Amino acid sequence: MRATVGSLPFGSFSVQLHPVSGVVMTDKIVVRGAREHNLKNINVEIPRDQLVVITGLSGSGKSSLAFDTIYAEGQRRYVESLSAYARQFLGLMEKPDVDQIDGLSPAISIDQKSSSRNPRSTVGTVTEIYDYLRLLYARVGTPHCPLCGREVVRQTPGQIVDQILELPEGTKMYLLAPIVDDKKGEYRHIAPELAKAGYTRVRVDGTVYDLADFPNLDKQRKHTIEAVIDRIATSSDIRQRLTESVEQGLNLADGIIKALQADTGEMRIFSEHYACPEHREISLPEIAPRNFSFNSPHGACPHCTGLGSRLEVDPELVIPNRRLTLAEGAIRPWAKTTSRMSWYSKLLDGVAKANGFSLDVPVADMKSSDLRIVLYGAPDQSISSEVPVAAPTIPTTKVSFLTWSGATTIPIPILSAKKSKSTWRSGNVQSAMVNG
Amino acid sequence: MAERECPVCNGQRLKPEILAVTVDGKSIVDLTRLSIGEAHRLFSELKLEGRQAQIAVQILKEIESRLSFLQDVGLEYLTLDRSANTLAGGEAQRIRLATQIGSSLMGVLYILDEPSIGLHQRDNDRLIATLERLRDLGNTVIVVEHDEDTIRASNYVIDIGPAAGEHGGEVVASGTPDEVAANPASLTGQYLSGAKRIVTPAKRRPGNRKSIVIKGAREHNLQGIDVEIPLGRLVSVTGVSGSGKSSLVNDILAKKLSAVYHRAGDLPGKHDDIQGLGNLDKVISVDQSPIGRTPRSNPATYTGVFTDIRELFAQVPEAKIRGYKAGRFSFNVKGGRCELCRGDGIIKIEMHFLPDVYVTCEDCKGKRYNREALEIYYKGKTVSDVLDMTVEEAVKFFENIPSIRRKFETLFNVGLGYIHLGQSATTFSGGEAQRIKLATELARRSTGRTLYILDEPTTGLHFEDVNRLLGVLNALVDTGNTVLVIEHNLDVIKSSDWLVDMGPEGGSGGGLVIAQGTPEMVAKEPDSHTGRYLKRIFAHEAQK
Repeated sequence: MRATVGSLPFGSFSVQLHPVSGVVMTDKIVVRGAREHNLKNINVEIPRDQLVVITGLSGSGKSSLAFDTIYAEGQRRYVESLSAYARQFLGLMEKPDVDQIDGLSPAISIDQKSSSRNPRSTVGTVTEIYDYLRLLYARVGTPHCPLCGREVVRQTPGQIVDQILELPEGTKMYLLAPIVDDKKGEYRHIAPELAKAGYTRVRVDGTVYDLADFPNLDKQRKHTIEAVIDRIATSSDIRQRLTESVEQGLNLADGIIKALQADTGEMRIFSEHYACPEHREISLPEIAPRNFSFNSPHGACPHCTGLGSRLEVDPELVIPNRRLTLAEGAIRPWAKTTSRMSWYSKLLDGVAKANGFSLDVPVADMKSSDLRIVLYGAPDQSISSEVPVAAPTIPTTKVSFLTWSGATTIPIPILSAKKSKSTWRSGNVQSAMVNG
Repeated sequence: MAERECPVCNGQRLKPEILAVTVDGKSIVDLTRLSIGEAHRLFSELKLEGRQAQIAVQILKEIESRLSFLQDVGLEYLTLDRSANTLAGGEAQRIRLATQIGSSLMGVLYILDEPSIGLHQRDNDRLIATLERLRDLGNTVIVVEHDEDTIRASNYVIDIGPAAGEHGGEVVASGTPDEVAANPASLTGQYLSGAKRIVTPAKRRPGNRKSIVIKGAREHNLQGIDVEIPLGRLVSVTGVSGSGKSSLVNDILAKKLSAVYHRAGDLPGKHDDIQGLGNLDKVISVDQSPIGRTPRSNPATYTGVFTDIRELFAQVPEAKIRGYKAGRFSFNVKGGRCELCRGDGIIKIEMHFLPDVYVTCEDCKGKRYNREALEIYYKGKTVSDVLDMTVEEAVKFFENIPSIRRKFETLFNVGLGYIHLGQSATTFSGGEAQRIKLATELARRSTGRTLYILDEPTTGLHFEDVNRLLGVLNALVDTGNTVLVIEHNLDVIKSSDWLVDMGPEGGSGGGLVIAQGTPEMVAKEPDSHTGRYLKRIFAHEAQK
């Protein structure tokens, strides 16, 4: 019985101190009277600081000596030295059947049994290489916009000012704060708001206007509107004013500011956050090591929660026989309810009517787009179906409007099968799941 | 349901904005998809500038040292994103070994259990160098091992024996490898000195001229290869770790054949076609997965021999007088078992916040049966005494009952004479579990057209045990069956009739067939790592 003390990436280790402190360490591990399992009261001396092989036929007692005697005793002595509180987590350890062991040092066992069964462990994580990679990426990685692949850079207001001042002295420029970025609308409200905030000019679709002259915009077209924060000519003594303007602009436009050179029309875009100037809807997080962990919600793909794969219903198991028509019960988990009155077949009827396909065509001959709807649903579509009312005394139906989410989502069977006495449905549904 | 790659991240596991962060133009996932060897090369060539280089220097040092330790223990073919639960036991162990070397502790006692498992002879040399490095750091390294090279490289050898089980448990020889080799009492010594050895067969079996052919194998790193496996022979698939042996044999061949012959549901790996399926009628794949996770399973129940033994006890006159049926002698059902411990022999006492304590059942005194069942004796032994026997004892005890004796003999022949019949299935190592399964299959009547697939059957076996195992495998082949083994053990390789050597390297550098033919033919192949070692062996034997 090997218990675990502490935890290494793989399995267990134990630390065991020399039994009597102050004793000069011998150059041997001396085992006297080992009788564990089939060991015949043997004495063994093992030289220290050497590479020692214990060999012998299978079952001759090699492991009994190495693991069940030497390692077990080392571990037991260590555990005995712990407080009663700590020991409760470690399991009781029997003293191996041995008279005496001297010269033991802290023992670490590297066996083959203790491997991780966790699907989130990878070679990278157990060797801690991935932890260092995460750190590396968080510290020296270059973020890019996931949509356009453009490098995104984050700058402090001071750095932005420095860069603007690097331009030749006397360069005339506008500092612009983007407010509307290539979107449709009239934007009548913008001019009064800007006026209230103390701005006097605005640049609309590339032309600078006074706020009073704010143009009428075509509702159907996309527009770009930028507030003009300041008009300056670069020189060494405007640093103070420039810094204020940059900070003001960054505040107004959620951390983005543009510098437009009046003469050349050249535009430079600066960002205080990791944000792509073109795709401002994407905000990149502050990058920290945890963002690179697929075991943390900060980094993991939300769809598969960081596993990289998902269990999904296999369409071939849902519709194993493509020569059947839907009316004949091609959808296997529902196959036995094809009495035309059942909830599913009514529902399917409604789906077929809404999308204009027939239930009497073999699945193999159906249009693939129709089959897609049958399997994966049409979430945007409301279908009407005459669903029989549960347990009617007089046969009645009511028309209800539902959205169809597809055969592969298995809407009701799993839930109802648990309660219902008939087990066929759970049986069928589960076999479609397990066989995959 | 089927496991599908996540459609949102395409199996990359991270959010898109995180994947867009790059170092040297590569995302973190691009890096983890590299093998350890490739990653090491990339990092040694990585150039960062200025501030970045300053920040990264510490991190890069840690990454590089870990990568190089992993390379040293022969794992350069593993990719960093390889899931830990798909690692073989030996691979997982060597990862831990690499981590330990990285910790640079000294004065520690390391105990390792057969670290050479799953390693090609070429990588074994590097493993030994790693163990020596661990020692040179100032540690004591104790290795439980059968591998000849490891034994020769060690400073001190302790040979436990002389035989297994009751006949073992003594120190037969100890000293330097040379001293042990000179000790005639030591079985290990005799193999080291060459006084005893596994003889290379003088003739290779020609087989039955039939074969099965795998066409266009592309699973994992296999590069669309065609492989022919001749039938009626002992065939070994060899190659360095990660060269694609398991992908070919386990993932494609074994799964396809069990789907065809036994309607198994597992999807075989990617390949175009397998021809010659009509030449076989059964496949038996014996892997190293445990024989059972319940402590109530044991070798006697697993091999089915316990049913016969219970019948036998029910036939004893005293049992007949009392009207006891076979069920009375089962420790799993009511009737004969001890009801206090329900046939476990031990009782688990839950101590709530203290750990569970196991005590011997006070009613049956650990015998698992009630008084009535234990009053029936066969040849002076109760059914509980029988469960306590080793296989070796059982062979003698049941020598007059052929049906029972045969099953125990097969267990004995695969080198399991020392295990107890009632030993809980959870206590067996992977190699032992595999041999129990092998024995169970061997006890069945072979059809003469069966394909046996074994993955490293020599795991945990001493030279002498390997010799006995070869005898068992040869007996199977001699009755017309085909035995296909994945193996690194050179004694098995040189004793095979036909070899398929994969390579040349592991991971993306492998996946090809480098050589195939008899061991003599492969030994002449200069590109084959296996061939080189075979050549050395044949030259050595020719000298003698």
